[in-house]
Amino acid sequence: MCDDPSHSHVHAHGPFRNLGHEHGPLQVQVERRVLESNDVEAQHLREDFAEDGTLVVNLISSPGSGKTTLLEATVAELKGTLSVGVIEGDVATERDADRIRALGVPAFQVVTGGACHLDARQVNKALRKGKFPDLDVLFIENVGNLVCPTSYDLGEDFKAALLSVTEGDDKPFKYPGIFSAAQVTLITKTDLMPHVSFDLEAVKGQIKTLRPGGEVLMASAQTGTGVDAWCGLLAARLASKRARRT
Amino acid sequence: MHETGVAMEIYRASLQAAEAHGPGRLERVRVAVGELSAVDPELLAYAWEAVVAGTPDEGCPLEVEWHRARQSCAACGQDKERAEGSWLPVCPDCGQFLTVEGGRELDLLQVSYLPDEPGGAHV
Repeated sequence: MCDDPSHSHVHAHGPFRNLGHEHGPLQVQVERRVLESNDVEAQHLREDFAEDGTLVVNLISSPGSGKTTLLEATVAELKGTLSVGVIEGDVATERDADRIRALGVPAFQVVTGGACHLDARQVNKALRKGKFPDLDVLFIENVGNLVCPTSYDLGEDFKAALLSVTEGDDKPFKYPGIFSAAQVTLITKTDLMPHVSFDLEAVKGQIKTLRPGGEVLMASAQTGTGVDAWCGLLAARLASKRARRT
Repeated sequence: MHETGVAMEIYRASLQAAEAHGPGRLERVRVAVGELSAVDPELLAYAWEAVVAGTPDEGCPLEVEWHRARQSCAACGQDKERAEGSWLPVCPDCGQFLTVEGGRELDLLQVSYLPDEPGGAHV
């Protein structure tokens, strides 16, 4: 497909010729992806992150699955050894960024005012306004939503989907887009497993079908169980990104 | 659910495509939407109406070309029925990976543009 808008072909004498107008309607063939401008911006971000050697993780889940709580536990674990930063996306309030900043970690809140996802332009703006130091790991906590954020590339290294055990064990097949796109799925709130009906093997089976080779991790931010494995995965991904750079 | 943002992007791209041809207004915009693109055509049409309302292009129709996804199995060598909303990548019969073609389209195809009459401003 032609992606360059300057390659438009104009046909001024098609069936829509309008005698009231000397030239009639112009049929401008465009043929470009609607989200092309987002993809272009995301690619710029990806190149910048590659140059800086920053690992970027796009966290996606439904509201209330524990993204911010897991991030609190994650940055608390990482901040002694790595420079970490967080971009928070929410429809309203600075609450999440405040929670991260309270841990002494730089955070910038994007308030979308109704939009259901973050796009690459907002991430670029957040990076400029957030005055982040040089980062080893940047977390982008997307707006809580299992559908829309999937369509918007943010220049991240990988998407991580969160699924809390209280949400039910049928979510991957019900929201296949995100669980196909996420390289890593984190099952959260695992300390609540004894109190809910959650078939872990069923979830793993669904994810294996949707994303063969995708990683599934278990974590409880409350008890800290599994947070070390998640941080280990991040450190390994960062190391391999840095190794590719040199 | 993000159809408003998509509609705004379509409008922005349409104006960009048209601006090279001088002042005028959009008469019709045609897009391709695939069934795996997570965009609902009806919601997109509503969102489009709202996006162009109050602009010089108010009332310009958005035509949606709907694209189905096709999946076939290399092992069984035939097209596989795909249940609405199912994105399963493996063959229900033999368990091999399916080849999925199309269905992810979200493209601006054509902009029909009505230029202002030449010299009209001087009449």
